[in-house]
Amino acid sequence: MTTEPKTKTFTPARPIWCAGCGDFAVRGVLEKSLENMGIPPHKFMFLAGIGCSGTIQNNIKCYGYHSLHGRVLPTSIGAKLANPDLTVVAAGGDGDGFAIGAGHLVHTFKSNPSITYIVMNNSNYGLTKGQASPTSPTGYRDNAETGMDSILLGLSFPSTTFLARGFSGNAAQLESLMMAALEHTEAGRGFAFLEVLSPCVTYYDTHREWRAKVYNINEEEGFDPTDRANAFKRVLELKEEKRIPIGLIFKGENTALEKLIVNENETYPALQEIGHTGHRAEYDKFIKAYLG
Amino acid sequence: MSSNNGQPVLEDISVIVAGQGGDGSLTVITMLADLFRNSGLNVYTERDVLSRIRGGHAAATMRAFTGHRYCIGSKITLLVALDEEAVTKNARHLDSDSVIVFDDSSGSLPKGLLPQGAKLYAAPFNRIAMRTMRRELYKNSIAFGMVGRLLGLEDEHMRETFVKRFERRGQVILDYNLEALGLGLHMADELGIKQGKGLYKIERTDPEEHLLIMGNESVAFGFMAAGGRFFTGYPITPSTEVLETLQKWLPKCGGVVRQTEDELAGVNMAIGAALTGARTMTATSGPGFSLMQEGVGHAGSAEVPLVVVDCQRSGPSTGMPTRPEQSDLNLMVFGGHGDFPRFVLTPGHPEDCFYLTVDATNLADKYQLPVFIAMDQALSQNIATVKPFNLDEVTVTPGKRLTAEDVAKLDTYKRYSFSEDNISAFAAPGTPGGMSLVTGNEHDEFGLVSTDPDNRLRMMEKRMNKMEDAKKELPKGRLFGDQESKIGFIGIGMMYGVILEAMEELEQEGIHTKYLQPRTIWPMLDETIEFINSCDRVYVIDLNAGAQLARLFMHQGAEKNKIISITRYDGLPYRPGILVKQILEEEAKLLNGQGKEAKLL
Repeated sequence: MTTEPKTKTFTPARPIWCAGCGDFAVRGVLEKSLENMGIPPHKFMFLAGIGCSGTIQNNIKCYGYHSLHGRVLPTSIGAKLANPDLTVVAAGGDGDGFAIGAGHLVHTFKSNPSITYIVMNNSNYGLTKGQASPTSPTGYRDNAETGMDSILLGLSFPSTTFLARGFSGNAAQLESLMMAALEHTEAGRGFAFLEVLSPCVTYYDTHREWRAKVYNINEEEGFDPTDRANAFKRVLELKEEKRIPIGLIFKGENTALEKLIVNENETYPALQEIGHTGHRAEYDKFIKAYLG
Repeated sequence: MSSNNGQPVLEDISVIVAGQGGDGSLTVITMLADLFRNSGLNVYTERDVLSRIRGGHAAATMRAFTGHRYCIGSKITLLVALDEEAVTKNARHLDSDSVIVFDDSSGSLPKGLLPQGAKLYAAPFNRIAMRTMRRELYKNSIAFGMVGRLLGLEDEHMRETFVKRFERRGQVILDYNLEALGLGLHMADELGIKQGKGLYKIERTDPEEHLLIMGNESVAFGFMAAGGRFFTGYPITPSTEVLETLQKWLPKCGGVVRQTEDELAGVNMAIGAALTGARTMTATSGPGFSLMQEGVGHAGSAEVPLVVVDCQRSGPSTGMPTRPEQSDLNLMVFGGHGDFPRFVLTPGHPEDCFYLTVDATNLADKYQLPVFIAMDQALSQNIATVKPFNLDEVTVTPGKRLTAEDVAKLDTYKRYSFSEDNISAFAAPGTPGGMSLVTGNEHDEFGLVSTDPDNRLRMMEKRMNKMEDAKKELPKGRLFGDQESKIGFIGIGMMYGVILEAMEELEQEGIHTKYLQPRTIWPMLDETIEFINSCDRVYVIDLNAGAQLARLFMHQGAEKNKIISITRYDGLPYRPGILVKQILEEEAKLLNGQGKEAKLL
């Protein structure tokens, strides 16, 4: 592990979250997992969206970035494709990822870049005082719609490679899922999607309800996370039974986006020395092509 | 000028091929342009198509000439009409010297459509294509043979161009097209148009080789040559060639090109790549640029270097996607919520596109802000000859970056440190010791969110002052014409070529003028305002309904009573003759004492 210079940089801020917020668990587990993995802070690029969870990058030593609302995935993909050596982790809430940013989630499931995406799902818009979110159940405030399930969405894409759900109230399991997600992306296996049930103690305290409903699918005898059809069936069945499946729900194989479009024979875009003359021959070819 | 066997030698000729969309007008023109370029003439081509693959009236025009021109002239030398509508639509550009090749498969041309003296060659291209080849598709290649003969091209050169154009599409397609060309040559023989006996003679006039390239391709190459290595785009007319060109070339230099799911992803993915230190660009047109507004404002606030190309088309909304306009100027200069710095550069021809994109890429990196390149459909997509770009003239200057060694020497590293020049040196992710926070929230020097009023003032000034700081090195405009004259022109983008040619014609009418082609319109350079104020009157040509350019000059201190605003927004490309007529009318009004008050909508 590279030692960091002694230069003083920003001091991670104290979280803005309410006491008891599930996001504290996510921060703790992430920090521990990075340490376990031996990922030094300077290689760790941590991008977050907008919302309570979208401040988490301020609380960890990292190259942190605060994206526009809903755009954390494309921004993270841009960073990963420009420099695949970086450990790129995106974070955000259920509003950021499943409402304003839902289009990007769909295309990230499809394109499978090797980044980890942590969605802290509290089933409401906490930062704007508790409005219904895409995952709010029917009857929450005036919500008449049925809440969405991101794991089912992910399962419906034949391109997905890692779908997991954790619960902030189960830190031990969350840590193993976080480690598995980071290992997946560090190995260049593609997109690691980790939804974390993270109750909002102020506007929608689901802590007890979720603790009673969560169901560790990995403890189920015979459950095979590489069987997409069965995973889909079991998630649906458990939902019918008013249970919430948690654990590593699906793990598959598919070429990662950066392996498809980054030229491995050349220095990565971000690492090329600006102004070097190494590609002059290609430029000359371009000119020749237009000379006729 | 005429050659020794009596045929006029080409000095300036315009050929238009018109028919229904899908008839292949553009293919004929593109191949003609290649042939004329190879003969040592300069060429400029224009496309007039609808936003659909088949059907609707479509036309393409090629002008071949000696000298330096970047527009289509007012007159058509040769009209290739693949249907009757092609004749009626273009009749007003024809005169007694014009030659018309007409596809009479559906009947002969009604009397009275052509001017007196114009020469008509009628031949059933479509019928021959259907009868001989069973494919209507090949009628343009048949017509090509006849047109080539009329223009004095060698059969062998035509065949070579066909091979060049079609061989990448496979031997079968090439063979069919060569067969069609042969049919066309045979038709020409039957009409007595023998090889070397065309209406004109081409003599190689310019010994230098020229690129045949469109503005979008030049922008793409400028970015690449400036060390640009990351590009995102979502296909949108008329910007798509930037994406396609870079898709083909950039990966060879280790660059990444990503076609995104929408422009929101396009601009934000570009920002993500730029954060890592890669030189980054995205390209779009009005609707996409509107979607990108939140992102470009964020780049201004978070101090992320980014180049955005806006290939403007007729707006608002979906507008007329294939028609040129310059109506996003307000959006480029004033768009986005809140105040943030940005530069807006305005190239005028493909060569300018190349060098200004190099500048844009350097400037974005140096000043850590968004730089916009204001294109228009004509500048973007019209193919023209230009001098080969000189790579030795390209200077690539990196921005203020910190290596691990640089960081280690510092006591404290702050991403947004206040400094004399308002630019904070930055360490890219991956640099040991350079951990930092980047955000579009107002922030302190470390990048931590801050609403402290004193910090807010200093940060806002740090960012906004970059525009004043940069003025000394932003691309200067170019002056043309009679500098003693008190009558000026200002126009950008495609108007460059039109204004220069209109000035020549006005000169012949005894009206001496000068022209400033501004190449930076934001921040406004003093030279632009000084140019206006040095004239008695300046014709500001705006390709938009709102007189956006004229109003911008007034807003920036130009004397209002010196500006005569001419606006055009019918979607048609300007012809020099139309501009000359407008200027003569305005000048006549002045002579008649009708005042010259600024004329704004």
